[in-house]
Amino acid sequence: MASSPAGTDIRRTIALACAAVLVAAVTLYLVLPILSLFLRTTPEIFLASLADPDVKSALALSLTTSVISLAIIVLAGTPFAYVHCRHRYPGKVLVDTIIDLPLVLPPAVAGLALLVLYGRAGLVGKYASMSGFPIAFTTLAVIMAQVFVASPFYLRQAKSLFDQLDPAYEQTARTLGASPARVFTTVVVPLTAGGLVSGAVMTFGRALGEFGATIMFAGNLPGVTQTMPLAVYVNLAGDFNAAIAISIILVAISFAIMVTVRLLATNEVPHA
Amino acid sequence: MKHQSERKISGIAIIWGMLLMAVLFAGCTGNSPQPAATAAPLTPAAATPAAPAAHPSAQAPVTAAPTLVPPAPVATTTPAPVYTSSEGNVVAFAAASLKGVSSQLAADYAKMYPGHSVVFNLDGTQALKTQVQNGAYADIFISASNAYTNELTKGGYFADGTVKPLATNYIIVILPAGNPASIRSPADLAKPGVKIAMEDKAVPAGTATCAVLANLAKSTYNADWNTSVFKNVVTYETSEPGVATKVQLGEVDAGFVYESTAIAAKPGTYATLTIPKKDNYLQTYTIGVLKGSQSTGAARDFENFMLSGAGQQDLKEYGFRPA
Repeated sequence: MASSPAGTDIRRTIALACAAVLVAAVTLYLVLPILSLFLRTTPEIFLASLADPDVKSALALSLTTSVISLAIIVLAGTPFAYVHCRHRYPGKVLVDTIIDLPLVLPPAVAGLALLVLYGRAGLVGKYASMSGFPIAFTTLAVIMAQVFVASPFYLRQAKSLFDQLDPAYEQTARTLGASPARVFTTVVVPLTAGGLVSGAVMTFGRALGEFGATIMFAGNLPGVTQTMPLAVYVNLAGDFNAAIAISIILVAISFAIMVTVRLLATNEVPHA
Repeated sequence: MKHQSERKISGIAIIWGMLLMAVLFAGCTGNSPQPAATAAPLTPAAATPAAPAAHPSAQAPVTAAPTLVPPAPVATTTPAPVYTSSEGNVVAFAAASLKGVSSQLAADYAKMYPGHSVVFNLDGTQALKTQVQNGAYADIFISASNAYTNELTKGGYFADGTVKPLATNYIIVILPAGNPASIRSPADLAKPGVKIAMEDKAVPAGTATCAVLANLAKSTYNADWNTSVFKNVVTYETSEPGVATKVQLGEVDAGFVYESTAIAAKPGTYATLTIPKKDNYLQTYTIGVLKGSQSTGAARDFENFMLSGAGQQDLKEYGFRPA
């Protein structure tokens, strides 16, 4: 059907309008709840809540444990992903599946599982407790819970990056005499750094927001195991303003991280 | 020029799109009143539509028409139920400590009022109160704390005249089976190295526990004992069953819960340490019908059932004391 120029214009207008509505709807759905956090409080109330010692300790604890968890995941996970991708070994498929397991496991179940293993009455925790190093209900438990639930985010990203990376670069470096470790640190990591950083960011966000496993395995003790998500939940009934203040801080941190990542990570991985 | 007309079309499209969005959002504002936050907010948020929890659907299968159906033979005088087909289900927000007795209550309620059913939302009273204040739908609210009941009453959430005392409960200390830490008296709770679980102070059981400890410190032990006990707390749980779970798993040496939890548990699950009545804190549970309830007939039937001999008998079997 030959359309007149006017008909084409109208169809184009409608299509663009629908696209605009779609973009606006998705954006607003994600942004409005966060905006409403800011609208529900005033700067004075917010700053007053920041002075609350419980809020400050939750903030410090959350940031410290999340950074430590991220460090553990990156330092252990990157070489693991590299070795996993570059070699074939029996059970590789099984390991692939197991790495993804914490992604689909409900966090409360993860917390219960960790408690059953590392708790005082657990298979491993029994001995830890007897030798004077209890695991459950300590800050270490917070870190372990965060590592458990957040590691798939980084490992999957790292695996996908290393799979895509053209092995020619590593092989060239090897023929020039570099050891595998040197190849890893000077060739592979710089080439994939962009993607690894974005994976690390997702991991940090997940670790920072962990709630179910933490409260089950580490408990809820201000200053020791009460992370920010726990503090928000606990304050929902008591001190609503503190809950909103903590939520706003979490939003600000997430936003800052995302902006930093956008500025830093721009490399593309050289494909095979 | 072709470029100019394309830009004009894009401009028109964007303006139409924004007008459409504005129309859609205009329909969303002006709904249920926002509850008063503890401090005056700047401006009411643009669009925060209330999110009803389990909204009773209008197709609850009710076999009988509005003729009177004789209730199941119970040795009480209950008003004959009068209901319409949309009132079959009751959504009850109840304090978490009613977890054990809830299935029994649901079964007996259905026996007394055939065609009715109740679904429980069990959580710490503080969490439920926040949900109701932020628009969650419920017919019945069973609170474990007079303070929260008063807060909701002042906020106008209850239907007039429906708030009644339901049951009472004392605090007790439960220990893992076998009492591994050999806790024989409250004094042992202050021993270094003992791990204690208790509820967060916002939870009604937590407030009760703090009061109990204060009473014990004043009457029998001293302030140092009180401090030592709090030093031994390793976790402040967000609901009363959370403490019971930690004790049952053997992860802590002692936990503060309601007597009903200890009484209703299978024999051998816990060892217990009772607290003398004079130092104890009697928690009062209240029940009320919420003003926003849309099934007032079935909701009031449920309240009558809970206050009747059958409901009270169920509660007694699970360790609750009468109001």
